[in-house]
Amino acid sequence: MFATLRSAGSIFLPILAFFFLSLTSIRAQSDSTSTEVASDTSTVETATSEGGISDEAVIAEGESLFNANCRVCHAVDQKLVGPALGGIYDRRDMDWIKLFIKNSQAVIASGDAYAVALYEEYNQTVMPSFNFSDSEIESIVAYIRVEADKEPEVAAADGGQPLNPQAAQEPSTFLTVIVVGLVIVLILILVVLFLIINFLTKFLRKREDLDDSDKELIDQRFKLGELVKKPAFVGIVAFVFGVFALKTVIDGLYQVGIQQGYAPTQPIAFSHKLHAGQYEIDCNYCHTGVRKSKSANIPSANICMNCHGQIKTESPEIQKIYAAIENDRPIEWVRVHNLPDLAYFNHAQHVAVGGQECQTCHGEIQEMEVVAQYSPLTMGWCINCHQETNVNTKGNAYYDNLVELHAQHSKAPLKVEDIGGLECAKCHY
Amino acid sequence: MQQKLNIALVITYCIFLAACGAKGDKPGYEYSPQMYHSVPYEGLTQITDEGAGQLISNREDGKGEFYNSNPNNPNKMNMRHPPENTVSRNRYGMLPIQIHKDSFALAERVLKSPLPESEEVLAEGKELYDRFCEHCHGSGGGGDGLVGQVYLGVTPYNSSTVKDKGEGHIYHVITHGKGRMLSHASQEDPMERWKIVRYVQTLQKQ
Repeated sequence: MFATLRSAGSIFLPILAFFFLSLTSIRAQSDSTSTEVASDTSTVETATSEGGISDEAVIAEGESLFNANCRVCHAVDQKLVGPALGGIYDRRDMDWIKLFIKNSQAVIASGDAYAVALYEEYNQTVMPSFNFSDSEIESIVAYIRVEADKEPEVAAADGGQPLNPQAAQEPSTFLTVIVVGLVIVLILILVVLFLIINFLTKFLRKREDLDDSDKELIDQRFKLGELVKKPAFVGIVAFVFGVFALKTVIDGLYQVGIQQGYAPTQPIAFSHKLHAGQYEIDCNYCHTGVRKSKSANIPSANICMNCHGQIKTESPEIQKIYAAIENDRPIEWVRVHNLPDLAYFNHAQHVAVGGQECQTCHGEIQEMEVVAQYSPLTMGWCINCHQETNVNTKGNAYYDNLVELHAQHSKAPLKVEDIGGLECAKCHY
Repeated sequence: MQQKLNIALVITYCIFLAACGAKGDKPGYEYSPQMYHSVPYEGLTQITDEGAGQLISNREDGKGEFYNSNPNNPNKMNMRHPPENTVSRNRYGMLPIQIHKDSFALAERVLKSPLPESEEVLAEGKELYDRFCEHCHGSGGGGDGLVGQVYLGVTPYNSSTVKDKGEGHIYHVITHGKGRMLSHASQEDPMERWKIVRYVQTLQKQ
């Protein structure tokens, strides 16, 4: 017995040691990254203070002007809407820069080769005219010069950064290590217990001073065959099976005619999670009918083009929209929610008047990669909501008399059912 | 033997029933499919397959019960484009304003908001702004909305190039687009655009 325990101990100890080692090494790693980044930023600071090309105040003025007027389209080190501005003072002389900023269209119209080439390269995007004084433009260029000289150092600091995301991921990897470790420990404990039982039974068998009942206990085996034949067991199994079968039948019958969970593949893999979730674009931006008409409407391609005429133009999914527009063919989206003609539903009434959120019926649409039908759209589901929901009477004079009449005989708030929300002919006519 | 057969039958029945629900690409089954599939032309549904629902069809033209598309329209669509050279009458009785999309200076001179200066209009303008503009132009009009940050080139309303533009200019930009912004006329009706203009003017003055 002691031998087995000792052997188990010899397995445990290295695992424990491994745990502590990995823990300390991860901590050491994160420490070293933070010191690296710190040292990099210090070099950046010294570089700029040594640079001292021109007056600090001029550069500060240039920075605020650049941020207020140029930043939306230009960066120093990369192309955005317009070209990267680092080194512009080497490529062009100061007079040209001044002319171009003050009226870029005039420079292009004058036939200046560089300006025309630039205009063509950036898809004929017009740079607006800026009413700056010469000294303001000079300060902006001075600021760009300082920023451009800073670039290599900043890039070096960025080079050190990729370690940081790793540090952010640390907790999750750490957690999996712990879980895996715990599972291993549990398995080892089970093995050790099994070994102990084996060891003890062997030890007991060797002893000869045991009576018959004790021996029977030691030699006891689980007999499956006998148990299965017992009527009680058969009865229990039959009952469980019967209940299961009944439940499946009832569930199955209830599912007929209900399309809850229907999530068809669409011709274009549009993600609501990206557009409505990550970028928080209002549902109404694309579903333009939702506050004005019976149906919320599927946006036409021109609404996609509001953004995708300019961004993500290389994506194969976006290319499908371009193809549809070029060939003048509709995008054949697959309809998800289909209310039969026998029931009337109006989006405007529920959203604009009732003030309902889209998510009440459509679920967490901003989390859906592929749209799935969230609600059952059964009559019971409609009725249930009409019985529970208070009417949005605030600031709506239409309801004033109704609220007054209702208050005469009831203290409960005005619910949809009180204004005829359960009348058959409201929805079926 | 008979008992085993019965059990097997029950199991297959259960499996069949369990497959009735909708999941993924499968819309599931219906008790009376004729009710779910519209007989008149449906604006947002188009089933071009003439054989769809042939089994339960009682149509006189011999096509499937679910067939729902208009062969007289281009691409068999159920909805039509408005006739060419016509304009829609809106509920305000406003006709479209005929100013070329590049004539911003003219628009600024000519176009005047029909709305009164009131808190109500401003509040409605803000609501519309949050729905149609905020994701690019940002809640404060700084061009720093979540989409604006990746779209780039969104001019802040208070930058020197645009902060003095009048209501006609703003209305014209919403209607026809400018620079990287495209026309939003299909999403907002003229009165909504004028409400947005009123709110944007407050953001210009920041």
